[in-house]
Amino acid sequence: MRIATTRFGEIDIQESELITMKGSILGFGHLKRFALIVHDQNTPLWWLQAADDPAVAFVVINPFIVMPDYKPTLHQEDRDFLEIRKDEDLVLLSIVTVRSQPFRVTVNVRAPILINAEKRMATQIVLEDPEYPIQYDVLDHKAHFDTWLAKRNNSDRLAMPATSL
Amino acid sequence: MLILTRKLGETIAIGDDIKITFLELHSKQLRVGIEAPRHVAVHRGEIYRIIQEQNQQALTSDVGLSEVWGRLTQK
Repeated sequence: MRIATTRFGEIDIQESELITMKGSILGFGHLKRFALIVHDQNTPLWWLQAADDPAVAFVVINPFIVMPDYKPTLHQEDRDFLEIRKDEDLVLLSIVTVRSQPFRVTVNVRAPILINAEKRMATQIVLEDPEYPIQYDVLDHKAHFDTWLAKRNNSDRLAMPATSL
Repeated sequence: MLILTRKLGETIAIGDDIKITFLELHSKQLRVGIEAPRHVAVHRGEIYRIIQEQNQQALTSDVGLSEVWGRLTQK
């Protein structure tokens, strides 16, 4: 199928590659189908593009890259909701916000997107732990990012099929 | 807005599968129990609003990803 996007123009995607928002991305509950897009293989910044609204595309990142000691407590109900039976099927992605003046990159580690990679179902969850901020500043913790950069091959948690452009 | 008066221990039913129970009252703090199906997101109002706003803000970036990547990998 073809989906229209503001950033990438029309893109071709297999319907089986779509991710179904079984819950919602808060504030975007009407959008149920998303494509996970890798625009540049070199970066860990991916896109979560809504299939039914060309203008809605979130930049997402594996939160463990920017916060290596990230240990979110996931409820069994959330796993059940997405039918996650094996840890290998569980993927977390966090929405990235970029501001230009001044330049700031923040990652929402409080409300990650929980994905069943095998069944391609997802929802945004809200962690109860207030230690995980909604605006985790990447440049303030750049050492973590640099560490990841230096040994980026073992980021096996990134393993999830995505659509390459 | 529908306004109802309830006693502690009493409930409010919303549709077939949402039930709210008023559990305890300590001065100005009220404990509420909520039973809802998993696809209904239940959050404290202020958290819900902040995350909605953050999601909205994430969409409005005017910086390209290649520039973001460049800045992040700058020594």
